[in-house]
Amino acid sequence: MKHRGKGIGCMWYPIGFTVAANPSAATVKVNEDGTATLLTGTVETGQGSLTVLGQIAAEELGISTEDVHVVSADTDATPMDTGAIASRTTYVTGNAIQLAAERAKNILFEVAAPMLGVRPDQLEARDRKIQVKGYPQSALPVGEVANHAQNGAGTPAIGSASYNPPTVAMDPETGQGKPFSTYVYATQIAEVEVDDETGEVQVIRIAAAHDCGTAINPMLVEGQVQGGISMGVGMALEEEMLFDDQGRQINPNLTNYIMPTSLDMPHIDVDIVENFDPTGPFGAKGVGEPTAVATSAAILNAVYDAVGVRVPNLPATSEKVLAAIKAKRNADPKRVSAS
Amino acid sequence: MTDVSMTVNGEERTASVPPETTLLTVLRENFFLTGSKLGCDVGDCGACTVLVDGIPVNACLMLAGQAEGRDIVTIEGLANQDGMHPLQQAFENLASLQCGFCGPGVIISAKALLEENPDPSVDDIRDALSGNLCRCTGYTKMIEAVQDAARIMRGESADEAA
Ligand code: FES
Ligand code: FES
Repeated sequence: MKHRGKGIGCMWYPIGFTVAANPSAATVKVNEDGTATLLTGTVETGQGSLTVLGQIAAEELGISTEDVHVVSADTDATPMDTGAIASRTTYVTGNAIQLAAERAKNILFEVAAPMLGVRPDQLEARDRKIQVKGYPQSALPVGEVANHAQNGAGTPAIGSASYNPPTVAMDPETGQGKPFSTYVYATQIAEVEVDDETGEVQVIRIAAAHDCGTAINPMLVEGQVQGGISMGVGMALEEEMLFDDQGRQINPNLTNYIMPTSLDMPHIDVDIVENFDPTGPFGAKGVGEPTAVATSAAILNAVYDAVGVRVPNLPATSEKVLAAIKAKRNADPKRVSAS
Repeated sequence: MTDVSMTVNGEERTASVPPETTLLTVLRENFFLTGSKLGCDVGDCGACTVLVDGIPVNACLMLAGQAEGRDIVTIEGLANQDGMHPLQQAFENLASLQCGFCGPGVIISAKALLEENPDPSVDDIRDALSGNLCRCTGYTKMIEAVQDAARIMRGESADEAA
């Protein structure tokens, strides 16, 4: 017989570690045609970070994302970055890029101010223009200002910056300190169906609410959450590296290291909880790894809700779930299951 | 060496290869069609999926000799000078892929599905993609993209409610 159950998992996750140096550096230059070139050492692995980093530079310069040419991950040409690790790219690299773009923008403001007859602090960058705040009709195209910056004023519009999350040393006696710059939070709810004759768990649906600060690109945030949940489903129910007594992996291929297919994945609802973090670029924090954290707890709590058994070591394979159901039956023969 | 000849994306191709050579190896190393990926080489991952006479096949499990005289379609055969195939366009619009390694196989499997069933349900799509492992995406946006492409190919607009 199949039993349905629901379970909830909550988590927090740290963004921007501070106990060791964790810098990113970036360079942004504004070109005479109004485009910009961004140099960053970080690596795109499909999560969309170069899109998000281009969006950050574009937003700061008041241009469009497609105007930003991103050059990445070339140790001959790009500045140092600690890496595409620890869910740090949007936050740490993004902060470096926003600072670098701001420096380039300030040069544009210095150059445009006399051209428009105002002070630099009266200017803003918007809609591919440098314009007077409150008087958008008094404006110059970004490209024209960039051209004048290099060929008239002699101050090319370029900015370089680095960002290293502020460090607070850990007290060696108490372990107290500030090991991370900021934190993200999430709750996931899983609905499962458990077959009490086979122990098989089918995840039917997962609802995931994630705080990532400002979602700079909501479509990519959704993709990260959905992908993280697939890793969480694997962690909860399927994925396990098995070793023999010599330490050799005995399931080193995808025939017997089982990971979720399209048939194993539930319907997923993603709820992005927007929340401005004042220390992040345009309020953003991060989203990558946190997405996989709450899933297995939610699924295993749902299994408990469905059939009243706890499987304390992951993955909760059918064999383990069935063994737990049988043990419970033997201990309490009158109650077949929780429901 | 064995001589093999087949139609690949509409063109006659021939190669002379050792008899144990797989179709995937011929496609990648003799015809330089590197879109189909080598993930596992034992039929587990689906990254090498191509169409053989319209049927999705793991090219790593088929010998090149078995493809003799057949009609092969790889991911490189989908776009034409008018643009990308509706599936490719929908995958791009929805950011359905992340690292992209599984993508050529997934899109070929989806193409085979839509040729057979122009109006598939979500369960039909899950079924059709079940031989294509993806480590990155959780499949959600792929399923949405296949639905969008199906609507476009039926002459509806992509964003009509499912
Ligand atoms: S490479 Fe053919 S199935 Fe993995
Ligand atoms: S997008 Fe990376 S494996 Fe599918």
